[in-house]
Order: sequence, then structure tokens, then C-alpha cells
Amino acid sequence: MPTVLQNIIRFILLVLFQVLVLDNIQFLGYINPYLYILFILALPVRTPRWFSLLLAFGLGISIGICSNTPGQHAFATVLVAFARDGIIKLFTSIEEGNNPTPSFYTFGVSAYIKYVVILVFLHNVALFFLESFSFVSGWIILTKVVLSSLVTILMILGVQSFSKK
Amino acid sequence: MLTENFCYKNISFPVCSFAHMKNLINFLIQYSVVFLFLFLEVISVTLIAKNQDYQKSVFLSSSNSVASTMFEWSNSVVEFFKLRAANDNLSEENTALKNQLVKLQNQLVSLKKVTPDSVHFRIPPEMEYQFIAAKVIKCTTNKTLNYITLNKGALDGIKPDMGVVSDEGVVGIVKTVSTKFSVVIPIINPKIEISCKFKRSNYSGGLLWNGEDSRYANLNDIARHVELALGDTLITSGLTSTFPEGIPVGNIEDFKIKTSDAYYKIKVKLAVDFRTLSHVKVINYLNYQEQKDLEKKSEEQ
Repeated sequence: MPTVLQNIIRFILLVLFQVLVLDNIQFLGYINPYLYILFILALPVRTPRWFSLLLAFGLGISIGICSNTPGQHAFATVLVAFARDGIIKLFTSIEEGNNPTPSFYTFGVSAYIKYVVILVFLHNVALFFLESFSFVSGWIILTKVVLSSLVTILMILGVQSFSKK
Repeated sequence: MLTENFCYKNISFPVCSFAHMKNLINFLIQYSVVFLFLFLEVISVTLIAKNQDYQKSVFLSSSNSVASTMFEWSNSVVEFFKLRAANDNLSEENTALKNQLVKLQNQLVSLKKVTPDSVHFRIPPEMEYQFIAAKVIKCTTNKTLNYITLNKGALDGIKPDMGVVSDEGVVGIVKTVSTKFSVVIPIINPKIEISCKFKRSNYSGGLLWNGEDSRYANLNDIARHVELALGDTLITSGLTSTFPEGIPVGNIEDFKIKTSDAYYKIKVKLAVDFRTLSHVKVINYLNYQEQKDLEKKSEEQ
């Protein structure tokens, strides 16, 4: 099954890239893009929901352990995995029996952009508020959410526009 | 009629309950994904709540062996680019230490006298601190909850709650320790507050990071009658058992006070640049246990 292998490799690469490269980006002090969420966004549409939830939990824990905040990442990632199906049904009409991987080609440009924007924003809101709602003022969190989401969204759309059909 | 009714009831009871069971099972199957979702989210929230504890399990932190080995490996690549700055710092510190050594030796010669045999083993206050050198293998500055991972752990004598400093000043406090690695909460994590004071006037307050820029933090609790000037140096107060007195923390970058405020809003430029941090020293306060025990005892009484 090439799709399974492709997803395993994607999981490993995204975790390593997130932890070793993106977590060390120092740009304006605010921005920490969380590209790893692309793994959940790029799961095939008909992945069983219970399975994508478990995958999301595993992904969140792996990323979280490396930044000493396991619960926050797990929560946000599971939330995205849960919301994903609803968002797909809302914006696209994929025929029964088809199991495409979400991309510009399968969803259409505008539907895919909406899909990415909403889920990334959801992920960032959950993550940043859980991380620091009791320590840091709301405006700082909001700035962080907006800037980080923006960079993450641009990165995901950038990566996707280079990928083949 | 009566008996019939009785029978009916008797029979219907198990049937009815079976139907209920079936409904319940159907319900569970239909919403199994929702239950799984809620279950996973509850686990996550539990993890977050547990993580508030000062000392948490080593397995779920970056001091676990897989994560720390990976960071050590990645650090060996990145460190290469920091070598020059680290060298400069080391040679500067070396010279300062040598000067100090000569000065102290001269003083020692003039002060030497026979010390009486003490009955009790005692570490004199001026010798109660030891330093354990360690290397930073992971340090984030762009998150709200930043952490630092060091390449030394329990085997090297590091324990939770020890202070961590670099050549420039205060870095943070040790949080979790595994056998070979340890995780430090730096000043740039709003979970800790460092007690510090002005070198000039001895007024003390708590230094707290606001989650924004890794170069600055805020100083609270300085009353309006205290005289301040831009550039005033802040040092550790020595009021906690984690840091000895006099380690640099930062300088005043900016301060504000409204006519209605009782306390200053002070912005402090931190002495340590966390973006280039590579080598640190962990402070081993040898009288720590004794001081803690005594303080605990007097609180109980």
C-alpha cells in the first residue's frame, strides 16, 4: 500500500522537521509555525475517524514531548482531526467510493484554501490558549495565533502547490 | 385479569430491558467516534493539569532518552556555528577569574591563621556553592512556555530546583532530571518568577516574563518611592535558596509610572541572550537540604 507508506514517511519527516528546524526559527519572537498539522490535513478523506483521532493523539504527544507540553499539542491536534470530516463535508462533494488525498486538485483551489485556513486557525487557537491562558495577556496570545497561523497556512499552501497530482 | 396482567409484566420486563440494551449499544456504536474524541481530549487535559506540577514524569518531557539523544545529535551540528562566540566568552571569563584568583591568594596569605578543630562538620557560607558545567542541547525562545534541555543529569549530581546560570547571568531553574539529562525552566517562561534586587539600592522584586520577546522581562513590586535610573543593574537577591546573591539578571531598559499607580512598570533587558546560549553552570547549593528542613520545621511549629 503506497498510501500507507507515504503517510508513515510523512509522519516521521514532519515530526523531525517541526522539532529540529521550525521550533528553532527565531523570527520576530512571535512566530512558531506548526507545520506538523499538515499530516492530519493530508490524510485520505475516507480514513476511519477513530483511526485519524488516534493518529492525531500520537502526533500531538510526539511533538509535545519534544517541547515539554504534551497535553496542549495532543488536545489541539485531536480537535483538528475531529473537526476535519465536518469541514470536508461542508466544502466539498466527494463521491461515495472515492478516497482522495486532500489537495488543490481534489478539492478545488478555493475549497482547499478554506479547509486549510479553518483547521490551522482552530489548531493554533486551541494550542496557544491552552499553553498560556493563565500567564499571558489575551492580546499577546491573539497576535501569536494570527501570525503563527498565517505563516503555517502559507507554508502548507506552498508545500501543496509544489506537490504532484 | 389480575394474573394475566401479572404475567404480562413478568414477561415484558426482560424484553423491555433487552430493547433498552440494544438501544444503548446502538447509541454507543453510533457515537463511538465522539466518545473516543472526548476520551482523548480528557487524557490531554489531564496531561496539561499534571504538567502544572513542578516535577513531572521524565517520560513525557524532552529529557526522555529518545528525545534527548535526538537533541544531542542535532546540537552537535548546530553548536559548530556558535563556537566562536562561546570561545570569546570563555576567554574573557578566564581572564577575569585569573585576576580574581591572584587577588584572593594575596588576601589569603595575609589572613592565614590556625583554624580550631570543629566538632561538627560544617560548610562555611562562603564555600557552600559548587558549579556543575553543562551544555545546552535544546533551547527554544519563540514559544510561550520555553524550556531548555541540558546534557547532564542525576549522574552528574543535578537535582530538581537547582539554579542555572551562564557566564552572563541567571538562566533558570532545573525542573526535571533523568539519569543523563535535565530540563530547565528558563526566565523566559512565565511559570517562574525570579526574586531579584537593585545592585544600587537593594530594593527587591519579582522578575516575570510576559511571553513576548525573549530579550526582555518585567519587574514587579517596586514601589513608587524607590529611585530608579535607566541602566540600573539587577542582581539576584539571595532570598531564595536557588541562587546565591549577586548574580546579574539584567538592566533597566525602560520604566513607567502613572500618577495613580503605586508600583512601577519596569522593562528589564535580560543579561543572558537565550538565542545564543550554549554553555551553562548548574549551582549546587550544599546546604540546601539543611536550610529546607529548618524552614519546614519552623513553619510547622
